[in-house]
Amino acid sequence: MTLRQKLLLLFALTVTAAVAAVAWTVLLRIRQVFEQRDRQETALFVSQFQREFQHRSNEVAAAVDRLAASDQARTMAFQIDQSGDSAPYLTTAQTMAQQAQLDFLEIVGPDGNIVSSAQWPARFGYPEPAVNSAAQTPFLKREDLADGASVLGLFAVRAIGGSSPAVHLIGGERLDQSFLGELPVAPGMTIGLYTAPGPTVSPSGTTSPASPSAASFDPARLVTASGPVPGAGRYQSLIDSARRSGQPVNQILYLTPQRQDSVNATAIPLKNQSGDVLAVLTVALSRSGMIQAQEHIRAIAYGVAAGGILLAIIFSLWIAARVSRPIERLARAAGEVATGHWDVRVPERKLGRGRDEVNLLARSFNRMTAELVSQRERLVQTERVAAWRELARRLAHELKNPLFPLQLTVENLTRARQLPPEEFDEVFRESTATLTAEIQNLKTIVARFADFSKMPKPELERIDAAAVVERAALLFFPTAIRPVGEGIAQPKSGQQIKLTLDVDSRPMPLMADPELLHRALSNLVLNAMDAMPNGGSLTLSAHRTVKGVELRVADTGEGLTPEECERLFTPYYTTKQHGTGLGLAIVQSIVADHAGAIAVESRPNAGAAFIITLPAA
Amino acid sequence: MLRPVAISCLVAALALPALPRTRPHYGGVLHVEVAGDPMQSPGGLARGLIFDGLASLAADGSLHPALALNWESGDNFHRWEFQLRPGVRFQDGTPLTADAVVRSLNASCTSDCPWSSAAAVGSSVVFTGDSPIPNLPVLLAGDRFLISLTVDANGQIPTTPTGTGPFQLTSNTNGVLTLTANVTCWQGRPFVDSLQILANRSIRDQWLDLSVGRADVVQVPPEMIREARLQQFTVVASPPVDLLTLQIASAGPLSSASLRASIAQAVDRAPLLNVIFQKQGAVSASLLPQSLTGYAFLFPSSRDLAKAQALRGGVTPPPLQLSYTGGAAMQLVAQRLSLNLREDGFNVQVVPASSAPTAALALRTLPLLPAEPSAALETLLRADGQPIPVSDDRLAGLYQAEREFLDLHTLVPLLDLPRAWAVSGRVRDLTLRTDGSPDLADASLEDSSRDAPENAPGNAPQSVPGNAP
Repeated sequence: MTLRQKLLLLFALTVTAAVAAVAWTVLLRIRQVFEQRDRQETALFVSQFQREFQHRSNEVAAAVDRLAASDQARTMAFQIDQSGDSAPYLTTAQTMAQQAQLDFLEIVGPDGNIVSSAQWPARFGYPEPAVNSAAQTPFLKREDLADGASVLGLFAVRAIGGSSPAVHLIGGERLDQSFLGELPVAPGMTIGLYTAPGPTVSPSGTTSPASPSAASFDPARLVTASGPVPGAGRYQSLIDSARRSGQPVNQILYLTPQRQDSVNATAIPLKNQSGDVLAVLTVALSRSGMIQAQEHIRAIAYGVAAGGILLAIIFSLWIAARVSRPIERLARAAGEVATGHWDVRVPERKLGRGRDEVNLLARSFNRMTAELVSQRERLVQTERVAAWRELARRLAHELKNPLFPLQLTVENLTRARQLPPEEFDEVFRESTATLTAEIQNLKTIVARFADFSKMPKPELERIDAAAVVERAALLFFPTAIRPVGEGIAQPKSGQQIKLTLDVDSRPMPLMADPELLHRALSNLVLNAMDAMPNGGSLTLSAHRTVKGVELRVADTGEGLTPEECERLFTPYYTTKQHGTGLGLAIVQSIVADHAGAIAVESRPNAGAAFIITLPAA
Repeated sequence: MLRPVAISCLVAALALPALPRTRPHYGGVLHVEVAGDPMQSPGGLARGLIFDGLASLAADGSLHPALALNWESGDNFHRWEFQLRPGVRFQDGTPLTADAVVRSLNASCTSDCPWSSAAAVGSSVVFTGDSPIPNLPVLLAGDRFLISLTVDANGQIPTTPTGTGPFQLTSNTNGVLTLTANVTCWQGRPFVDSLQILANRSIRDQWLDLSVGRADVVQVPPEMIREARLQQFTVVASPPVDLLTLQIASAGPLSSASLRASIAQAVDRAPLLNVIFQKQGAVSASLLPQSLTGYAFLFPSSRDLAKAQALRGGVTPPPLQLSYTGGAAMQLVAQRLSLNLREDGFNVQVVPASSAPTAALALRTLPLLPAEPSAALETLLRADGQPIPVSDDRLAGLYQAEREFLDLHTLVPLLDLPRAWAVSGRVRDLTLRTDGSPDLADASLEDSSRDAPENAPGNAPQSVPGNAP
């Protein structure tokens, strides 16, 4: 990953994280504000509903009050009191209930038994425990009906004025779907009523405990004014909480997996005088409007965030490009330097704008390359001078050796003029022979130098490295056996050298000039044999590597010092007494012409190994 | 001299208004309103006016000849021969023959007949039975065996119900039955020219019509007798003629006799009588009333809830249905019984009989005839669908038969109830029959001129027919 990409990624991530954090914070706050408003709105509606519920309770109480104060009721109470016969009033409760528009009305005699019942006329004569309630405020009561149903009602008890002992009226209004339908409902509000099955009250007033199934939630018991509540099962936890705690409970209910189909629901437990929860009123306010507004704001926020992130990425691209461009130039320049182009320069910004670290680095780089070029030129000059000195020394040394015999021969020949002609002729023949030999020696020296100066360009062709190695081995060790052969050579000094040939069996194709490569390898073998005057072991190997083909010539001679290893390939440098110092220089020149590399591994008294690495074809 | 004359004139003047009251007027239209169908069988008001039986029961329970002049039994009550009254004709003029009587009886009795066969022998009808039929004359006096014309002189089936009674049906439109006087009736012509019976009229509407003079005779259910009297209506009430009972199916969920006994013990009769029926009638735990047998007190009528629960023995019976027929009072009775049974551990749902014809419990009203106890008991049992001949005239035997029947607990007697009618001030001499229905043939109108313009010429007052009995 490039620096620019890294910078771009870093900038983009930073900006994205920042924008996301801001967007999340804003959305969270908006959600909190909306939900707070939603709760406040729900609480307001619940409060309104409770006031309306109280109002309805007061209406029931007022209706029963009016009935208890009516002449009809007072006359009836008087007659019952006087005659003790309540039978004529069997249907009176129905008539009075119709007049007062009450769903429930019972007339209870002084003995606490029902005289007349509008909702269950057959219950006359049975006791009515609710008449013992001294409460003036309306209360909830579960009322059993003739058809076996048990319904919830809002009741009020009043004694009919003037009768002693008192005849009571118990009037009430049914809490059912029609009651819910008459309640004021705000848009989006759903009012439901869950009636829990309660204990069974026998006609004689004895109470049987509720069945175990009564405690479990029954969705069919939750109804609204328009009928059953769809998805009533979702209200279970809310209603169960309200039934258990006896306190209003508020929850957000998700009616479907869709978030819009959620309601802010409040469950209000409706209790009887004993504190038992007879029913639970649910006030559910739809959150769809709020959710839609939230979604709208969220969409806007996401749009702004996306735009911001896009702008941030574009800005990051510009910033990354601006920051990384000088460094990229520096990297490219450094690469150029690495390839030997030391005269490369990177542009520098002008004064005032170029005081940052990158510009300082560019200036330093430019100074460094300038210094490198300068030092290289000085080094070349120095090396050139040294080479010329070395060349002069070698030439002087090489030429001095033949010149000294030449001088002695010429002086001897001069002195020989004094000798008799036979002796002179003998001396003359010997002297001319010596002169010829030394002159030939000079020619050879001159020819070597000429060869080095006239290294031919390689003529590349596809060859196998194994063939080159075997050819060099066979030159000096005719008995070597391929691929891993061994042979014994006996050079001119008479020492015994053992050859070990190690050639890879896989093909090792090369694009090379076979003659030049043979010459280089032969030079290395000769050097190795020279390094083992007392005999030793020579290993020739050729192997495929990842980078190409590796040729190795290793001996077990005295080895080289590190200083010698450093200067080994310098032309005219030699460790031999009669070497020209051109052999390894020629080898290095040939290897370089084949785009290869040569290295030496050696330690003193541990032999040396020359490794040629050539690219595979 | 003047003084005796003056006194005579004064006496004459005082006696003049009294004259019409001693001699009933002929003519006029009597307006009657009923809650049900007057042609309903049994018990329809018009049926007793259009049709006659072979015998009839008087108000005191005595049996009188009707279409049959006399009868005699033989072969230890296995054979009865009824000699028909001569000269009797149906309202369309068809003579009453033994064949016509047999056809009518066969048409009205398709199953559970008291007799095995009925045959016309000359002017007599001969009944034979596989078992003794000691109470056949009383049974034939009942509403079920009224004689109607099934085939006329031309061999055609009559288009309108035709009998030999004092009135004949002339129209039935818009729920109003018009019955005109049968001037050739063997009993003699009725006093009024015609009857207009308005059917299916609610009790309150009947009373309103009576109050404003649009009706002359209206129904008063037993539970409203007290109220009717408080409203100053003239109420004519019968002695108890209906036995209100709770029928318990012996098959199905109440096949256990102990469960049925538990139900019988759980019912509380007193509130039914005292509150729902406003003390009109009597509590009864026996089939026949105390006035008829004298042993009814031996059947305890009080409630024993503890015994009922003990009889139930902790068994939780399945939900039951209690069906009822009739108006609000019968529904209230059913609901009250449901409450009683609920205290005994039964779960009873009250339903109309039309929606639950096979309910395990049913409220039914059975006729109480003021006849011989054995005949009354057999009539009652037959009405209950139990064709059990009762031949023992001894009270001990009757008691034993009734006890054995009631111990089955398939029928729980509840109340003996009267029937009552409210009449306008212009109706005279209205009496009630043994079944509690008004004997409109003997009733007359105080002032028949009010209806004269509305009446057809043929309905004008006529002379007393010559064929009165």
